[in-house]
Amino acid sequence: MERRDFFKKAAVTAGAAALGTSTLEAGLTHQPIDNREISKFAFPEKRPLITFSDRPPLLETPRDVFTSALTPNDQFFVRWHMPDIPTHIDPEKFTVNVNGLVEHELKISLNELKTQYEQVEVTAVLQCGGNSRSAFTPTAGGIQWGNGAMGCATWKGVRLSDILDKAGLKKGAEWIGFNGSEKAAYYETPEFIRELRLDELDDHVILAYEMNGEDLPYLNGYPLRLVIPGSYSDSWVKMLSNITVTDKYKKLFFMDVAYRVPDNECECETPQKRFPKTKPINKMNVKSVIGYPTPDSIINHKSHVVVRGVAWDDGHGIQDVFISIDGGKTWDKAILDSGKLGRYAYRAFRYPFKPMGYGKLTIMAKAVNKIGQEQPFAEDVKWNHGGYKFNGIDKVTVEVI
Amino acid sequence: MKKIILTTFTAMIPLMAQVKEKVEVPYVAFPIKMGEGFDAVQANCLMCHSFGYIINQGKQSRKFWRGKVDKMIVHFKAPISDKDAKIVTDYLFEHYGNGKEQ
Repeated sequence: MERRDFFKKAAVTAGAAALGTSTLEAGLTHQPIDNREISKFAFPEKRPLITFSDRPPLLETPRDVFTSALTPNDQFFVRWHMPDIPTHIDPEKFTVNVNGLVEHELKISLNELKTQYEQVEVTAVLQCGGNSRSAFTPTAGGIQWGNGAMGCATWKGVRLSDILDKAGLKKGAEWIGFNGSEKAAYYETPEFIRELRLDELDDHVILAYEMNGEDLPYLNGYPLRLVIPGSYSDSWVKMLSNITVTDKYKKLFFMDVAYRVPDNECECETPQKRFPKTKPINKMNVKSVIGYPTPDSIINHKSHVVVRGVAWDDGHGIQDVFISIDGGKTWDKAILDSGKLGRYAYRAFRYPFKPMGYGKLTIMAKAVNKIGQEQPFAEDVKWNHGGYKFNGIDKVTVEVI
Repeated sequence: MKKIILTTFTAMIPLMAQVKEKVEVPYVAFPIKMGEGFDAVQANCLMCHSFGYIINQGKQSRKFWRGKVDKMIVHFKAPISDKDAKIVTDYLFEHYGNGKEQ
C-alpha cells in the first residue's frame, strides 16, 4: 500500500472515533485461551505438552496438572528466547564463572558446588511474566500463553550470597549480570543477560542444580539455573554459565525493553496511548488457577465433586482461596493445604460440593494474600502492551449431566 | 529393589547426568500458509524462530505485523532488507491479517 493511502485510511479511522462509532479498540481483558491441544509428540525429558514453537522451545503445561502444589518435572513449562541452546553439557567439565569486581575470580565445577558450599532447598513458583497473555485484546505481542506458563518445584542448590562471599566483592560492586548459554543466530543479537542490583538479592536467591529431587531437565536449564523466589521467571537465568559483578548498569534489551510494564499505579495504558515510562515486571501478584474440573470434565448431577487448584503470590503468602459456583455472586472458602512447602510455593486448595442442577455450571476461584490483595475479575484487569501480569479470577465452565 | 540400586548408583557417581548424550529437540512442521512472499519469510524469519511463533500470534493488523518485523530488525538485529521487510509484512497481513490496517 502507498504511504498516502495509509494516511487516508488513518484519517477515516480517526474521524469514526470522533463520531463515537469507534473502529479503534479499547484495551480489554478476558479469560485467557483455555484447553489448547496437547501435541502428539514429546520434547526431551518431557511428556507431550502444548507446543508453541520448537526453535526456541516453548511449551505450556496443560490445566489439569495444576491440582497439586508441586509440578512434575516432565510437565513443567519451557520458555527459551534464542534458537540455539546447548544440547549436551558434560557435568564433569561444566563450570560457572564468577568475575568482575571481585577479589578472587572463581570457576566453580558442579562437584565443587555440591560439596564445598552449604546445600539449601527452596520450594518456589516459576511463572512467566507473560503467563495468560492471551487474556489481552488487542493482542499483546508475545507468546499467547493460556494459564500454563508456570509451575512450582523444590529447587536445591547453593546460595548466591555464599558464592559472592567466597569471591569477595570489591568496593563499588553494585550490579550482578547473569548469562545463560543460549545463543542467537546472529552475533549482533543481544544476549540473554539479566542484571540485578545487589540489594535486590537476598538469601533466598540460589543457584539450583536440582529440581524436585532430580537433575534439572535440559529444557529447564540443566545443569544450573538461577532461582529468585517471588519474582517472575525472566530473571531465573537457565544454563547459568557466568556471573559478572559490576559498578555500572549495562544497557540490555531484555532488561530495558522486554518484560516491562507501565510505571504508574495501575501498571496500565491504552493501545492508542502507551504510557511513556516503564518499569520491570519484577514481583508476582496474587493469582490462582483451577486444575480440576477442566472444560472437558463431565460432571454428574448430585455427585461429590472436589474442585482443585493452586494459589500463590510473591511470598507474602496466601490467606484464603474463595470459590464461586454461581457466576461470582457468592463465595465460599476453599480448604487450603498445610502450607508446609513455604511462602513461595503453591498453596493447593480443594473445595468439595454437590452440583444440584443440570446444564452449564461455572466455577470461579479467587485468591487473597496475607496483606489483603485479591484477584480482580478477568474483565477488570487493566490492559498493558506487553500482556504482562494477568491475574484475573479463573473461571471454568463445565456441563453437569 | 530396582529403586535401591539406582539410589546407590547415583550416590557413588554424583555427576552423572540424567541424559548422557545429546538431547534432540524435535522439528515441528507448523502449518504455515503458502503464498506470495513466502520465500522471503523463509529466508528472513526461520533463522531465529520457528513458524510456530508467527502462527501463535493469531490474526493481526498490518501495523501489528510491521511492528513485529521492525522489532526483529531494531532489537534483535536481524539483517532484513527494506524490500524484504515490506514483502514479509505483506505476506503476514495477507495470510495472518485481520483486515485492519491498524
